[in-house]
Amino acid sequence: MTEQNTAAPAAADPELRERLVGSIRELLPQVLRREVDGVTEDTALMDALGLSSTTGLELVLELEERLELEISVEDLGRDDFGTVGSLADYVAGNLLTEA
Amino acid sequence: MTSLAAVAAYVPAGRVPIEEPAGRLGLSAMQVKVFRRYHRLGEVARDPGGGLGDLLRGALDRLEGLRGQEHRVRYVLHARTFPTVTPYGHDPLRRLCEEYGLGHATAFSVGHHACASGLLALDAAGRLLAADGDPDGLALVLTGEKAFTGEAQLVPDTSFFGEGAAACLVAASGERDRMLCYATELRGEFDSEEPELALEFQRIYAEALAAAITAAVGRAGLAVDGIAAILPHNVNHQAWKQVCRILGYPRERVLLDHVTGTGHLFCADSFVNYRTAKERGLLRPGEPYVVAAAGAGLGAAFSAMVLVH
Repeated sequence: MTEQNTAAPAAADPELRERLVGSIRELLPQVLRREVDGVTEDTALMDALGLSSTTGLELVLELEERLELEISVEDLGRDDFGTVGSLADYVAGNLLTEA
Repeated sequence: MTSLAAVAAYVPAGRVPIEEPAGRLGLSAMQVKVFRRYHRLGEVARDPGGGLGDLLRGALDRLEGLRGQEHRVRYVLHARTFPTVTPYGHDPLRRLCEEYGLGHATAFSVGHHACASGLLALDAAGRLLAADGDPDGLALVLTGEKAFTGEAQLVPDTSFFGEGAAACLVAASGERDRMLCYATELRGEFDSEEPELALEFQRIYAEALAAAITAAVGRAGLAVDGIAAILPHNVNHQAWKQVCRILGYPRERVLLDHVTGTGHLFCADSFVNYRTAKERGLLRPGEPYVVAAAGAGLGAAFSAMVLVH
């Protein structure tokens, strides 16, 4: 997962983005199968939390189910899993359904 | 220069959805969804009634180029992903050699490069023939394994194994499918089950595989954009998408036709893809192409070979 997200994060609806950040934080313990404390928008998913590419993808698909959205994973790259915030940006910019 | 005199492939007709091995191995529904949506895996090939001998026989029966040339075959190499490919005591390779008039040949297995062992076997076959100095000498490289253990059904986070086989006749010289260069990089530091190393392996995977391709192409005196096609190992779509991005190589020229329908056929992928590439007219006389594979198990191997059709 090394592809760059070409979507423009700045265009994301702030309310949607906040909802995504909140959901990612809530889903992290589930996909990592352990307690996770003190997660913020700037927390590094792979480097700090040890998220793998597979658990990262599980997180994206769990988000789909929880928020009843369809997310395009075509352009999802490793860099998008940099932080909680960067993942929220990717998702916000790659929705296939109306949020 | 070493060349491929004939290539045959056999994929049994049986298919099972990946949910079947996934369920047996305890994967969650979400993990399966990742495999389907992101890696684009769907079904794996299976020959439920047959053993390893039957799989290899399927490939040998289709190797028309072997007929009448058996006496020229000096070596039979079985390239393996796993060191153990049959229950203890079974030796189908020896029996097949007798069956196909190859009892005189030196038969042995090639491994320890996991799924990249097929390329290692081609290189070894070429070197053995060159060292013998017999211009008529041939070697037979066989690939294919049974998905008969949990380990031989799933590549964690990456792929599902399917059953298939291939037989490739290697000649010391020849005009078609000449081997220009072989590059392999062994990464022994991944001989560990530490989770941190697994993450690191994921991180470097595409870059290391791209580097092996670049090295082989460069040593052959060519440029990546001059490569007509890449015949990959069929692990998944995503890994090759990353490799293509790093190489700046068009994804449509990487033959990924079989990923969704057969799964990762151990070391046989390269040869099954060769047959498909030929049938689709992707290999044209005089054009170079790359066969590439990565193998992981206890350690990792990233390999690429440049050939000219």
